[in-house]
Amino acid sequence: MSRMKFYCDDNRCIECFACSVACAEAHELPTGISRRKVITLFDGIEGKEVSTSIACMHCTDAPCEQVCPVDCFYIREDGIVLHDKEKCIGCGYCLYACPFGAPQFPRDGAFGAKGAMDKCTMCAGGPLETNSEKERHLYGQNRIAEGRVPMCAAVCSTNALLVGDAESVSTIYRKRVAGRGKGA
Amino acid sequence: MRKYMTLFIAALCLASVAYATDSQIWGEMRIQNILGYGQEESWKLGPLFTLLQSKYFAWIFLGVLLGVPLVFFLHYKIVGPKVFPHSHNKHYAFNLFHRTVHQIAAVSFLVLLPTGFIIVFGDFFGGGTLVRMAKNLHGLFTIPFAIVVIPMALMWLKEALFNLEDVKWFMILGGYLSKEKQIINATQFNAGQKMWYWVAILGGITMILSGAFMFFLDFKMEMLHNITGLSQIDLLRVAAILHNVMGFAVVALFITHVYMSMFAIKGAVHSIITGYVEEEEVKILHNAWYKKLKEKGKF
Repeated sequence: MSRMKFYCDDNRCIECFACSVACAEAHELPTGISRRKVITLFDGIEGKEVSTSIACMHCTDAPCEQVCPVDCFYIREDGIVLHDKEKCIGCGYCLYACPFGAPQFPRDGAFGAKGAMDKCTMCAGGPLETNSEKERHLYGQNRIAEGRVPMCAAVCSTNALLVGDAESVSTIYRKRVAGRGKGA
Repeated sequence: MRKYMTLFIAALCLASVAYATDSQIWGEMRIQNILGYGQEESWKLGPLFTLLQSKYFAWIFLGVLLGVPLVFFLHYKIVGPKVFPHSHNKHYAFNLFHRTVHQIAAVSFLVLLPTGFIIVFGDFFGGGTLVRMAKNLHGLFTIPFAIVVIPMALMWLKEALFNLEDVKWFMILGGYLSKEKQIINATQFNAGQKMWYWVAILGGITMILSGAFMFFLDFKMEMLHNITGLSQIDLLRVAAILHNVMGFAVVALFITHVYMSMFAIKGAVHSIITGYVEEEEVKILHNAWYKKLKEKGKF
């Protein structure tokens, strides 16, 4: 079984923010939390401007999983990196280890203490019973279990955001690069 | 009082709202944070923190937690405690202010250390409510320590400055390795106590600052970025590494401090409870101070 991966084709991303908004809406995230963000480099410089969409990249060798003091991360058979919010203490170590700044901390405790970490789940929910009320409340939709594409990729208007097992993603991208003669 | 507390809490709440709107981690700055990860010219703090935290920190803490008491247990069994007759003359060395400040720091430490260890060995405790509570207490009990650390630093600063006698003290480790009561020519604090003073004060301030960084996470400090050239996330990595490394030293010397006062020198702990130090103890372990007190006609 190959691993599930995200890939954002920056030749196609048009900075429409649909992925970010759709994700926040689908999972009913609290205000101020967005699991997926669009970033733009060289903004406004013609020929150089490039946008891409970033969330948790579900690393093969996930550093967050290595540093967690309570060991609340687990990596699924298909490579999706998830964590247990009931174990998580909101210490922030996963954020320091993460190359992408994916983990976020809703400050819902007294005196602004950090709550349990929240990050992209590739729409695969969490450790609780699949599609249970509690799972949905804590982790958002579990679209993978229903055989659906993660929300962000589903709404991407230019199909810039690819998601699936690494083999398929790279096959699609290879075809694109061959077709347009650039972007490898 | 209540009015000020309400104001303070309101300020905190407002501050966290302000953080959310202009994030240094998930906002515009996120690009800088990502670019700083493992590039050739960067300090490679991301991989470094990951390596240290995943492979070393918890084990070193375990080593300190078991190793230091083991050494002292052997010391107690082989060399044994020093016992001084506590019936003699006494000198009032620590006034109420000294003792109060010390006790507040002591209570803070007695909460900070165990909760810190519960966080470090969080996987052993299975995470969840207990460890989360430990994390919150760890932050909460920083406050009393932060309040007393400066007064404590100032009230003993003069006594804690190192002098040449301290070199001799280190040579024989203050005479604690022999059963005989050698006369040690130390001032009010000997070299070991001075060492603990500096680790507790400077180390303590380092712990407070690095801990505050990690607690507030998303703050704006232009000056720090300009001086260090580090991105926000790299500052946090430095804070986390510092907090752990400084933790080793603070924990090791705190255990030493407790052992010396409660076991190695029988009854020494009473001097900070009642404020009175006992004549023979001072004469032998702090002879330079003893002479000075004699001149002044104390005892």
